[in-house]
Amino acid sequence: MTDLQNPDTRAELNFLARRRWARVGVVYVLYLLFMLVFLSPLLFSVVSSFKTNPLDYPPTLKTPQLNPLNWIAAGKLGKAAGGGVWTGGAEPGNEFTFSINYFIEDIENLQEPEFTIPRRKPGAGLAAVKVPTYAADHLGISEIEETRREPYLLESLSGTAVEYTITVTYPEGDGPLLERVPLDILASTELIYLSSTLPASRLERRGRVASFDHIAPGVVGFAFYNYRRVFDETESLSTGRNLFVAWFGNSLFVAIARVVLNLAFASMAGYALARYSFKGRYLLFFIVIASQVIPSQVTFISNYLVLRDGVFGITRLFGVKSLLNTLAGVIVGGAGASAMVESAKVFIMKQFFESLPKETEEAAFIDGAGHFRTFFSVMLPMARPALGAVTILTFQGAWNDFFWPMIVLTSPEDIRTLPIGILYFRQIYGAAGDWGLILSGAVMSAVPVVVLYVVFQKYFLQGLSFGGTKG
Amino acid sequence: MRKLLLFGIVLLFAGFGLTAAGQAESVQQDEPVVIRIQGYGGQDPAIVVRLLNEVIGADLEKDNIKLVYEPIEGDYNAGLYNSLSAGTAGDILYVPVETAPGIIATGQIQPLNGLIDTTPFIDSLIEAYTINGDIFGIPKDFNTLVLYYNMDLFDEAGVEYPTDNETWSSLARKAEAISALGSDMYGIAFQPSYDRFGAFTFGAGWTPFDSQGKTNLMDPAFVSTFTWYTDLIKSGAAVMPSDLGQGWTGGAFATEQVGMALEGAWMIGFLNNDAPNIPFESALLPAADDGTKGNFLYTVAYGINRQTENLDAAVKVLAALTSEKAQQFILEEGLAIPSRKSLADNPYFKNDSREARANKAVFVGSSTGNVLGYQFGNVGTDWMTPINTAIVTVAAGEVSVQEALQAAQREIDEMMK
Repeated sequence: MTDLQNPDTRAELNFLARRRWARVGVVYVLYLLFMLVFLSPLLFSVVSSFKTNPLDYPPTLKTPQLNPLNWIAAGKLGKAAGGGVWTGGAEPGNEFTFSINYFIEDIENLQEPEFTIPRRKPGAGLAAVKVPTYAADHLGISEIEETRREPYLLESLSGTAVEYTITVTYPEGDGPLLERVPLDILASTELIYLSSTLPASRLERRGRVASFDHIAPGVVGFAFYNYRRVFDETESLSTGRNLFVAWFGNSLFVAIARVVLNLAFASMAGYALARYSFKGRYLLFFIVIASQVIPSQVTFISNYLVLRDGVFGITRLFGVKSLLNTLAGVIVGGAGASAMVESAKVFIMKQFFESLPKETEEAAFIDGAGHFRTFFSVMLPMARPALGAVTILTFQGAWNDFFWPMIVLTSPEDIRTLPIGILYFRQIYGAAGDWGLILSGAVMSAVPVVVLYVVFQKYFLQGLSFGGTKG
Repeated sequence: MRKLLLFGIVLLFAGFGLTAAGQAESVQQDEPVVIRIQGYGGQDPAIVVRLLNEVIGADLEKDNIKLVYEPIEGDYNAGLYNSLSAGTAGDILYVPVETAPGIIATGQIQPLNGLIDTTPFIDSLIEAYTINGDIFGIPKDFNTLVLYYNMDLFDEAGVEYPTDNETWSSLARKAEAISALGSDMYGIAFQPSYDRFGAFTFGAGWTPFDSQGKTNLMDPAFVSTFTWYTDLIKSGAAVMPSDLGQGWTGGAFATEQVGMALEGAWMIGFLNNDAPNIPFESALLPAADDGTKGNFLYTVAYGINRQTENLDAAVKVLAALTSEKAQQFILEEGLAIPSRKSLADNPYFKNDSREARANKAVFVGSSTGNVLGYQFGNVGTDWMTPINTAIVTVAAGEVSVQEALQAAQREIDEMMK
């Protein structure tokens, strides 16, 4: 029993407690630092993918697109314009109002601002090539009305706040659904922009112009403006298919196919290497391991040529001249992490099978099971954790694979996988400084892997430990 | 064991069969001739589709030709070299002007003499693709540099707008007046790079390669232009885009902290998207003080692959793509500036819009003063790296003009050995 009355013991205990807390403190500070380092780029790119200008400087986490008050305003505008609370847009036979607030120091200088719906092509990139529907051709703006005037204190300046309101009308008729209604408001230099029904997309001409990309956006159209563009603006002009959806489907198909092939071949190869003794077994295993250290850049030319000729002409039997520009080519072809069966996965399976007790198999044999039966009905179910690890690692590798699909898939544009598609976005929109669409595409492409990671975290760690320890 | 092997092979074949069934095209007797075009990614695939649907598609169908556009994303030149060496290159290829000499030197591009009439195209463009009298490409469109300016800032500073007759000194004076508007205001954005700066050296009478094919950076014409350019940056009248947190002068111009910028027609789409309300206009590039202008030609041509099995059909497609009606469509849609001389009188250029005026300035720029292709012989774009380094180091005040140019000269000599 410790004597708590003894001052020496108490000092010692205090010291220990302090040290413990100090340690906890150090650990947590380190934790936080790591989190900051690893998570803040992710956080910023996700938040930036919502912004009108993702390159704004200094970067901030506060963006109007993530403010629920703006969602309500956007929903109301979308509803009034006829396009609906969620997706927005303007339909014939509707009208809606839009207001803007200015601060003016000397009310004597007050001049009404000018409202215009500009004839502007939506966005850069592909949208610039398409024939647009201009909102300016269909909508009318009412007279400008001053709806409010009250004293206002801006920082230390006292003056007046003035609110102007207009009504935008889409006359009855068979006009199209206007997916985008831009608005520009030009004011004199005395007027300082305070707020508006929806926050301005940008202030231009040294603060004189408040410019809005879309004043009837609906909730989704406002908050997920960039995300919506990914779907709206990326149709293939030749087939009319939505490119992003096509790419997503391709990536999914490639990833699933590769998972199935890896599961099948790696488990069988791993089992054979672990359990059967045959001539050249060690040599074979050595080759499997050695193939891991050859970078795929070394073998890609020969693999490319093999695909070009349709795997030595075999595919010609089925009427396919070349496997280039086919998803089958991506699945069959690459080396390293892009291979149909990956040596690292064989290794994981082999190690795992070696760790299983031989007695189970012997029992199966005694009960009359053959090799196949033993493998499929007894061993494979027991290898579930390793199969899980292989599934996840393969899926992640295939989903993120860039180099090999980039070489194999060049045309038509809807045959690409997602990472190549994002590159295409970068080229077409990045050149015009339009990063919002690229970022939102990238964020969406990361979602499946993030979900997979969160759900199957356990197997990821197991996968690492199978690879690292000798069973 | 053998059973397993057999099983595996059957499985593999079954897999191929399935995918093949999905993708194999039905083989018919009167199959159209397929002509593959290999070109840039980005907007180009969409533009070709529109051309096909709206202008030239019907004619090609009559000739029983099917056109397939295969874009190369990422590094086009690397992709082109790869496909040429693998033998998978298209029948028609984009040949970018900056790498044209190198690509043509491989002997894989078909000379077009006698196959296509090149006289209707702008001479300086055809010249960039002429080697020893053989013509290797028909430019599909082009760009040159023009001077964009922000009218607001000129109004605010009370300076007259730039005109088509500006000289270096008058440009510098105007730039200084704009930069006097505030500590974060600048007259003009200068890219510290030969791909913009070079246009001024041409105005001064310098050429990148002399009669012996050598590059001489110590030429007085080059040194004086270099000094003028870097002095403007050092004095604060000009600014490098990176100092405003921007990657190019267009981005700097969009911040409204810069009065002028030198860019091509690609600037228009960017400004319409990112800063639609900036009241910009454009003028021809300023001339050297003796009145000579210089400019770069940025272009890309259609060339024909020498290995093509369908030369006749490829020539027909090339002719259709560069035909007057195709180019007129491209121009009137505001997609690019056509390479035919006759389109100078197209009504589009007389439109009362800033886009049309800027496009017109780009068009006129191709035939005003000393206009040279954006080319660097067989060395390729690496050639300009030493010059770019020299501009940055001098503008930052790290070394003198003389030292920087001597170092750059040594590097270029080494490269061209």
